Parts: sequence; structure tokens; C-alpha cells
Amino acid sequence: MEIKKSKKIFKQEVIVFLVVIALLLFFCLMSPDFRKYTTILTIMDYSYYIVLMSIGVTFPLITGGVDLSIGTGLICYSLAGGYLVVHAGWPTGLGMLVSILFGVAIGTLNGVLIGVMDLPPFLATLCTCMITRGLGSICAKNFGVSWPTAGTPGSWFRSIFKITVNGTKLPLGFVWVLMLVLIMNFVLKHTKMGRYTIAIGSNKEAAILSGINVKFYHIMAYVISGFFAALASIAYSAVFATVQPGTGAGFELEAIGGAIVGGVSATGGAGSIVGSLIGVFVICLLKTGLPFIGLQANWQQIVTGLVLIGAVMVDIIKRKREKK
Amino acid sequence: MKKKLLATLLGVAMVASLLVGCGSSAEEAAPAAEAAPAAEAEAPAAEEAAAPAAGDLEFKIVVKSFQSSYWQAAVTGVNQAAEELGVSVECNGPNAESDIADQVNMLTNYINAQPDGIGLAACDQSAVLDALQMAMDAGIPVVCFDSGVPDAPAGSVLSTIATDNYGAGATAADNLYAALKDTIASATAPVRIGEVNQESTSESITQRGLGFIDKFTELAKADGYTVAVVGNEFYVNGAKDKGDEASANIIIEVAVPAQTTVELCATEASAIMNKSDVIGMFGSNQVAAEGILSANENLDVLGTEPGTKILAAGFDAGSVIKQAIRDGKMFGAVTQSPLAMGKTTVETLYAIANGETVSDIATDGYWYDTTNMDSADIAPNLYD
Repeated sequence: MEIKKSKKIFKQEVIVFLVVIALLLFFCLMSPDFRKYTTILTIMDYSYYIVLMSIGVTFPLITGGVDLSIGTGLICYSLAGGYLVVHAGWPTGLGMLVSILFGVAIGTLNGVLIGVMDLPPFLATLCTCMITRGLGSICAKNFGVSWPTAGTPGSWFRSIFKITVNGTKLPLGFVWVLMLVLIMNFVLKHTKMGRYTIAIGSNKEAAILSGINVKFYHIMAYVISGFFAALASIAYSAVFATVQPGTGAGFELEAIGGAIVGGVSATGGAGSIVGSLIGVFVICLLKTGLPFIGLQANWQQIVTGLVLIGAVMVDIIKRKREKK
Repeated sequence: MKKKLLATLLGVAMVASLLVGCGSSAEEAAPAAEAAPAAEAEAPAAEEAAAPAAGDLEFKIVVKSFQSSYWQAAVTGVNQAAEELGVSVECNGPNAESDIADQVNMLTNYINAQPDGIGLAACDQSAVLDALQMAMDAGIPVVCFDSGVPDAPAGSVLSTIATDNYGAGATAADNLYAALKDTIASATAPVRIGEVNQESTSESITQRGLGFIDKFTELAKADGYTVAVVGNEFYVNGAKDKGDEASANIIIEVAVPAQTTVELCATEASAIMNKSDVIGMFGSNQVAAEGILSANENLDVLGTEPGTKILAAGFDAGSVIKQAIRDGKMFGAVTQSPLAMGKTTVETLYAIANGETVSDIATDGYWYDTTNMDSADIAPNLYD
């Protein structure tokens, strides 16, 4: 049973990977301007924070839950850390640490609400979504926060994600993101924590009866999600000039959408981090590519929605065939 | 069981440490944040403070959002005037400028509180109409600032204090056209000017966008060129002359993202800036201008040399835009005076409460670049 399942997920990843290639070819064919190295840089830059969020949110999704607080959380953590760096003179590294601890704290709060107090994940994280949205604005005193810009003191963290070698900019961030994807993929597939996370999602009752400390691993799924939302907040701060209070709602949908396109089951119990990574790239490609072929903003959203429906439909049809 | 307890404790400890951290840091940072914008003290009509009014006047101010430092400067101006006049003022605003319904709610709540006057910077020109009628019925005077409400019920808005946004957009076009004139003259193929507007619903943004388009078109036509406006329907249809793309020498391409965020503005900007025929860009507010700069991070096409680089004109200030102008990445920008606008709003409300007759006040937009950004009449308007 288990072997069969993982085989099926592997196939979904391959299909989605082919979709990514097809989209790339399509945009290259349709727009000469798209066929530039800088386009790859741009897609990479704008994908890091979504990929990082989706690595994290894959864990709650696999337990059969969801984490809606990662989008506004991302902005909140970045505002809190950035405010200390810009307005209170803290070193950049310390500000980043504050962002990460903040993310872990909100993740723990989500985990306790859901794992211990049995709140429905949708509801609990919707509440923390609102809380982080407000809290972020308060921490930054309603200021937009501009983390140190390139070339100014304390801006070293921007080169974590992009370095210039001999005048060429290299998307270094992709290396880190890829490493994290592989590490977390290993954690999910080959460690006790990962297996128990999957066990909670496939059959929570059975997991409890077999003696798994379900509450602990349930909490941990949300802690991981919060931690990666915090890493995403650093990626976001490094790529964009200003972090604005009140934004962030909607980012989580791109991460969750990416994970589901990449084969994470919407009902829990199945999925992979590699799949989530590839799924996110479908979304990022659409986001970056559609303006190149001259599509107006509102149509871009419609097309993205339609492509997501298509991707999920493929999965459903495939599952039905497998049952027969 | 032990692990569960540990996890719970850990969670509680983290939240607690965080709250402590947040609180103390906020206190430390407060004086620095307040000290910066307070530098500007001059504003018209400040001396009339001695008028005989009750000391317990209460005004409510609704801003568009706290998203950019622009609004923070406006609120600073509001508070300065309140202190000088000895009135009490409460400010509020939605999380984002696109949260139109939230703002209408805040406005209605304020009307129900029966203050002596309301200052409003409307996110949407039509959504506030009912509330304005309500305010008039309740006898509460309203002063609009930053953005006007053209269709407001007659008599509900007593004064509108706003930058002449159409004129400010035209100012950007004036300066950009002058710098690009030779490039356009020597071009052998049609050239393209990009414009990024964060939305197409508020009066301030749309007027700036259209002011830029119309002025640029006018100047180009005077020199014998033909111009076409393409892209977002609202701006294409709103332009005085949208021209014909096939035969135009100059194409103005307008992009509007689906949401008012930097990363979506950046995506739209990079799609335009990737085209090889682009010679100029205009971002009509802080978010749009920063979107253009974000896009440039990878493309590296902006500069101050016409012909070889794309010249970008921004709007408003903020540390990122100011730094980009100093670094020669952004050609220049238009700034308003949010601080004076906030101050004038409270002063106007005060005048109304004292029975004075008031009229609309138009404030100017000023062009700034490396040559004048440190001068005495520009620098105070360049908030961080």
C-alpha cells in the first residue's frame, strides 16, 4: 500500500515537471523578451519566498490540516525584524533572528490551538492570520519597513540570495532553497517525524492507537510551517525594497496552491516536498510569464485559476483510473 | 506526555519573550521615529491659531492606509496642527489602500461618534458617497484631503485639500520629455514609454497617470510626433488622445497590477522594461516606483543617460527612491507635501468650527533629482 502510494506521487511530480517545461517553452515561443537570462533571475527572485512557504505548509497539509497564517505571518515577521534593524539600530543578523523566533512562536501557537485544543486548522490559522496582520502593523508602528538596501551597511543578507560574480548576477538562493527542499523531503519520507506526520494525515485514530504521540507531532507540523514562513520572510525582505504593513494576505494561497499542484493531497496523508517545489514553479512561471505575453492583470489571475483547476483535475482523473 | 508539556511550555515561553522584545524595542525606537519628520515646521495659516474656539474641539481623520511613509508624514502633520491649535484628533485608516469597505466602515463609525469635523482621504471616490450624505445629515463638516470626491453630495464636503495630481503627473512628463527629446529625435523606430499605476480606482493615482499621458502626448505632438496609448483599458480610454498603435512614433504602455503590492508592480514593470524599444518609465506612486526599481534589480536597465539607459521617473519619496536617485538609478521623481497637507486639513477643520468660510486648496507637486534634492525648499518634503 505504502509503496504504491509513493509511486503514484512520483508520477504526479513528473507530470507537473513536464507542465513547467511546457509553460517555459510556451512563454519563450510567445515572447522574445522572455528568452533572457534576466527573466530566469526574476522568476527565481520572486519564487524563493513562495517555495519556502510551501515547504513549510506541506507539513500541515499532509496532516490533513492547513496553515492560512503564513502569508500575513511572513509580512509580520519581516516587519518586526526589519523595524528593529532600521529604526532601533539592531544588527541585521539579530533582526533576522527575531523574525525567525517570531515565526516559530506563531507556528507553536497554531500547533497548540490545533493539536492540543482541537480547533479546526482552517479556523485556528484564519485567526492567527488576522492576528499576525494586525501585529505586524503594530510592531512596525504602521511604517513600511525598508530593510537595508543593496550597498548600504547591513545589506549583506541580500547576497544570500543573489551574488554578483564577474559582473554576472547568480541566483544563489536557488541552491539554498533546493538544499532545504531535499533535506525536508528526506525528513518527511525517512524520519520518524515525517512518517508520523503522514500517519496523522492518513488515519489519525490509528496513529493514536498505535501509541504515536499525536499531539506532539501535530504541533511540530505547524512549528515547521511557522519556521519556514519566517525563512520566507527573510527571502522576501532580501528581494523586495519595502515591506508594507497590511499586505501578505494571498501569499499563502500561492504556496498552498503550489503544494497541491505538486501532488500534496488536499485531504492529507500524501505528498512530497519536491512535488511542492515543482508545483510552486508552475504558479511563479504563470505570474511572471503572463504579463510578457501582454495579458492584463485581471486576466492573469483568471488564467492562473484555470491552470490550477486543470492540474488538480489531472490528479483526480489519475486517482480514479488507479482505483479501477 | 513529557514532550507535549515541553512543547507547550516552549511555545508559551517564545510568545512571552517575543511580546517582551516587541514592547521594549518599540519604546526605544519611538523618539527616533518621531524626531525625523518633525523637522518641517512651516505650513501656511499656522499663525491663525489664536482664534477664539473652545479647547475641546474633536476632529476625526481617516487616511487611505498606513502602507507608505507618505501617510505617516501626513499623520505627523495632522498631529502637529492639533498640538498647535489645542484640539484633539484621532486618526485611523485601513490596512491597505485597496480595503475600500474597511475604510467606509471606519468613516461611518466616526460619523456616529458625532465629532466636530472629519478629515477624509478617500480610497474610492464612489464608495464614500452614502457616508458623506450621512455626515451632512448629521451636521458634521467634512474636509477631503489628498484625494477629492468629485461626485460628493452638494454641501457635504466643505473643502478639498489636494495635490493637483493631474498637474503633478504632467510635471513628471515635462521633465522626462525634456530629457528624452534628443533620444526620440534620433530614433529610427518607434520608442516606448512605460507607466505603472498601482490601481485605477482612486482619483489621485488615476489623475497622475492621465496627467502624465496627456502632457507627454501634448509635448510630443507639438514636436511633430504621433503618440499611441496602449495597455490598461481605464487609462487608454481616459487619455485625451489614445492614437493608433500601428502608425505611432511613441507608444505609451500602461500597466496596472491585480493588487497594490510591490511584487506585482515589479512583475508588470519588468514585462515592460524587458522590451528593447523602451526609453522611459513612470511609476505614479511610491509602490509603483519601487516596483520599477525592484524590476531593475535583475534587468539593470535604468540610468540617467538617455539613449543607452531607460530613464525612470518616480512619485513620492521614501528611503528607497531617494537612494535610487542618489545612485543614478532613478532619473528623478515628483514629490508632494503630505506634512503640509495633513496640517492644512486640521487647520481648515478648525476654521470651519469657528464659522469661517473655506474653499478648496490645491497643493503643488515638485520635481526633484540629484541637482535639487538637498535644497531647502525640496528636502523637507522628502520623507523617509
